[in-house]
Amino acid sequence: MSDRLRRFADVLVGYSGGVQPGDLTVVQGTVNVEPLLNELVAAVLRAGGQPSVRCEPELDGLLLGEGSDEQIEWLTPGELQDIEQADVWIVVEAPTNTKALTSVDPEREARVQRARQRIRERYLERALAGELRWVLTGYPTNGAAQDAEMSLAEYENFLYDAALLDDGDPVERWGRFAGELQRVVELLATKEELRFVAEGTDLTIAVGGDRRWVGADGHENFPDGEVFTAPLDDSAEGEISFTFPAVFSGRQVDDVRLRFREGEVVEATASRGEQFLQEMLGLDDGARRVGELAFGLNDAVRVFTRNILFDEKIGGTMHLALGSAYPECGGVNRSALHWDMICDLRSSSEVYADGELVYRNGRFLSL
Amino acid sequence: MTDPRVARLGELVVNYSLGLRPGKVLRIDAPPVAEPLAVEIYRAALAAGAHPYVDFQLERLPELLLAEASEEQLDFVSPIAKAELELVDAIVTIWSETNTRALTHADPERHQRLLASTQELAKRRWQRMSSGELGWLGVLFPTEAHAQDAQMSLPEYERFVFRACHVEEPGDAVEHWQQVREDLGARAEGLAAARELHIVGPGTDLKLGVEGRRWQAADGRYNMPDGEVYTSPLETVTEGEISFAFPALFHGREVADIRLRFEGGAVVGAEASRGREYLDALLAMDDGARRLGEVAFGLNYEIERFTQNTLFDEKIGGTMHVALGSAFQDLGGLNESGLHWDLVCDLREDGEVYVDGELVWRAGRFLEAVASAGV
Repeated sequence: MSDRLRRFADVLVGYSGGVQPGDLTVVQGTVNVEPLLNELVAAVLRAGGQPSVRCEPELDGLLLGEGSDEQIEWLTPGELQDIEQADVWIVVEAPTNTKALTSVDPEREARVQRARQRIRERYLERALAGELRWVLTGYPTNGAAQDAEMSLAEYENFLYDAALLDDGDPVERWGRFAGELQRVVELLATKEELRFVAEGTDLTIAVGGDRRWVGADGHENFPDGEVFTAPLDDSAEGEISFTFPAVFSGRQVDDVRLRFREGEVVEATASRGEQFLQEMLGLDDGARRVGELAFGLNDAVRVFTRNILFDEKIGGTMHLALGSAYPECGGVNRSALHWDMICDLRSSSEVYADGELVYRNGRFLSL
Repeated sequence: MTDPRVARLGELVVNYSLGLRPGKVLRIDAPPVAEPLAVEIYRAALAAGAHPYVDFQLERLPELLLAEASEEQLDFVSPIAKAELELVDAIVTIWSETNTRALTHADPERHQRLLASTQELAKRRWQRMSSGELGWLGVLFPTEAHAQDAQMSLPEYERFVFRACHVEEPGDAVEHWQQVREDLGARAEGLAAARELHIVGPGTDLKLGVEGRRWQAADGRYNMPDGEVYTSPLETVTEGEISFAFPALFHGREVADIRLRFEGGAVVGAEASRGREYLDALLAMDDGARRLGEVAFGLNYEIERFTQNTLFDEKIGGTMHVALGSAFQDLGGLNESGLHWDLVCDLREDGEVYVDGELVWRAGRFLEAVASAGV
């Protein structure tokens, strides 16, 4: 366990964060991830960086329950300094109880999100200018294991497998994996239109023009493993059935089926949570369009765990997100929503690119 | 789930010690093991309309730095920490450890270097505190490690700590400490005119000069628990002998049964049954280390036991303590030293203290109550 944790920290620091001598590296997490924070501090020191720890109790429930509007909107001097001064920022997100905020008034939650926009925008600015590298990762907790319907020991194995830790030198292994993802990006970059065919799914969508595919290879999320793009906004036609539950903001919707015409959702059904689905689709104009289209390519992630950090990377799946698109892909769709929904393609499925079969039962044929 | 005593301590810290106002920024510095108290202080600060946040320091950080850091990394002072210090209105430091001896075998030179790197921030903090821009309070959260040092079980030690802070029982702790503030303030005022203290007890017959020095009441605004009145004695006047029944700790090392003999304000004879060499080394640290920087009455009668922690020991009701080394400049003290070592003298059995020849204290109590009574 502790050896794996040390290797996990070394990859996060040496590969994901790319910590160089002298880099001021903020290591952030709630108190329940203290063992990983300790390992991250040691790894940053070994890499020659300067660690700066940001650790606090899990206070969101208390703050949202007892704080005034002014208090819940307040940003601490600590986080405001971190975002300005860090060269590398490693965030460990692992709640002890993933449902602790279920009964919080969504209006108050939205107020917090709006206040935090300032931090997100500053991050994007500094990241774009090459001043800040940011990594989001997880940590095995009983809360996460419970969501995944596993024991804690099983969940630890799941997480460290997904992080490719048990396969030689993990930094070298991630370098190789990044190369594999790049080959998928290169293949897809030559295509104009994709057609997904599976049970309950026949969806055509355009990915050419000014849009770019990007390989997610463990630098902003860890673990990682997908290639994603922003499809052309008016192009989605047909229907898609999502095999995994669609989870957003802690709410779960089962058996989502969407029908698209000229890029827009024209029909949406679900066996459970359909009303929530309709509410989200009605959030704004952009919420009915596809902001992201992606292939999950991490074969070490095999099972659904209700944590999008892992689920969207399951090898042999595709996902699309309703709502906002990524500018780095050339996407323009704007929305307050970005809801990833995942479709398992590992059996009885095919993907055609410009009419040619390129992917069957979870695998690209030519790679 | 919440221990009501911890909740009461959180409210006491916020509403009495810090007197936190709406809109003020409070940083709560603590190790993770002190989470229950950190959360209760946070909750009380929210209720007071302030902006609190918790800054947990990883307890293993010093150990990790000592093991892994280069000299450059040891010397580093984070620009984040510097900037943050300018942006807070108050800091609570919660002292709490899971192992009070974890650094016993650390390389002394590297440890010294690490401590030196914290001086810049500590200095700036004192500057902001003494100019009144920054409020500060130190408080302890009980753990097994502290209980072990005190030779108690954790439940016993918790009762000991919470009683010392007057939050063991329900009731208005703020009111209690306001009374303490009044009483100790009056006591300090009463001592202001004193010229000479004469302390007599088992193995003790010591005269100190305090003329012209200011007495200060320690009434829970900077430490919790609290309860003493203290000053810095004249540097060249102390004459006679003093014996310390409680073992004295300095940086985790113990010296037992210390006896000191003073002439012209300086230690001229020192004995101990254990740790004599360490005692000699400390006395030889610099010129000021042989002279007294502090003399004080311990007046918290809800602390009755010695627990090897100065925060509590020096406040035991019925004791006096003197400190070898640096004096308090704001009280008129002049002695300078790298040392400030509090030594506690138990006067509860048959001690006597005379002020300018008049008996004022016997067996651990002032004979005359202050106007408001209580201590």
